[in-house]
Amino acid sequence: MASSSGAEGESLDDYDSLIATTDVELLKRAWRNEKAAPEILRFESHLISRVKEQIQLMEETVEEKSSGGNDPLSVSLYQMDLDRTLFLLRSYLRIRIQKIEKYMFHILKTEELWNRLSKDEKDFARTCSSDLNQHLEETVLSKLPENYQSVLKQSIISEEDDMVPEPQLDTFVLCRSKEYLTGIQLEDGPADDRQFSSKLFEMERGVLHFICYKSIKALVESGKLDLL
Amino acid sequence: MYGRTACQLVKEFASGDKGQLVSFNSDLFQQVVAECSQHHLELQSLIRKIQEEGLDIQTARNADHYGALIHHLALVRNKRCLMAYVFNRAEIIRNLLWKIGHVLPQEIEEKLCHTEEEHFKKHSTALKSYMSKVMVDLTVDMVPPKDPYIKVRVLDDIGDGILLSDDKTANFACHSMHLLKRTDAEQFISRGQMEELTG
Repeated sequence: MASSSGAEGESLDDYDSLIATTDVELLKRAWRNEKAAPEILRFESHLISRVKEQIQLMEETVEEKSSGGNDPLSVSLYQMDLDRTLFLLRSYLRIRIQKIEKYMFHILKTEELWNRLSKDEKDFARTCSSDLNQHLEETVLSKLPENYQSVLKQSIISEEDDMVPEPQLDTFVLCRSKEYLTGIQLEDGPADDRQFSSKLFEMERGVLHFICYKSIKALVESGKLDLL
Repeated sequence: MYGRTACQLVKEFASGDKGQLVSFNSDLFQQVVAECSQHHLELQSLIRKIQEEGLDIQTARNADHYGALIHHLALVRNKRCLMAYVFNRAEIIRNLLWKIGHVLPQEIEEKLCHTEEEHFKKHSTALKSYMSKVMVDLTVDMVPPKDPYIKVRVLDDIGDGILLSDDKTANFACHSMHLLKRTDAEQFISRGQMEELTG
């Protein structure tokens, strides 16, 4: 989360970088990334707990001001600010929960994804998947012949779990880089073709790109790239 | 033809409006399940036949082997169709939680089968317990707020004495218009009891 944006040291740049590191702005970024990414990203636990504290503070301020007979315009401005932050928080948590709902079996069996969830989300995913499991079992699986009763496998002879819906990582996303990046491996074209041309892609700072999520997955995870 | 009924089931789901439910087709569903059992019986009898002829099941490549394979594949396909049907319906049902709230209106509830109702209730409990843990209500605030207050018209006689978040009560008579806090109004809007007036 480096904020070393402009070497010129102009006051405007300083102001921008200052604004860009407030928690609300960070939350907005996390929210945008989460919204655009096809898979679930790491839970921003520190950020979320800080934001929650701030929301509480803001709620107290609003209450104080409105009971203190302050002028209603400033109260409503505070309220609006609060509402917007609350919306970001709610929407962020909501998107994550909806992703968990959609891909719970996949998340549950993939350790990397599982570790990205917060503790409460893990609890939710566990109950949720056991509920769905039970639902599928009662409705379909218990009525099928015994070798075909697995939720994760098509039949007993499948070697892998071949009935788990996974997020599509090869969709395209809009992204913007925060710094000059190079050596991005584009994962398109047939496999042998890729080896021969081995195109490495570079990104200038602040330029918009429309690119396959798979090839920038690692950069999003390390926070070098923002999705839009 | 094998697998046709299952295909019909999935097609019926897929041709419906997106996010809308039609009644659970238990008739067709039972037919497919019965077809599965039939496949299994035939599969087993073919395997028995191969064994009786003294052949190794792993390596035998005669007509019976391929017959058994067809039954196996048809069964797997039927299973996938059944699962897809139930799984995707379950997804819509879970999404109803976000769109309508924790109580389903009668006309939707009629379209669910018994286990689906159970699933909805359980999922609603799971979501509630998550929301109480994080202490944030996720079912309000579905659209980004522009103004803390919105103008609404009451469509249904909700009655008076409804407590709002600022400890005041309001009288929501049918067709009356109000300027309310968005968070207060949202629950009524999602139940279809109010509409937002824009412009």
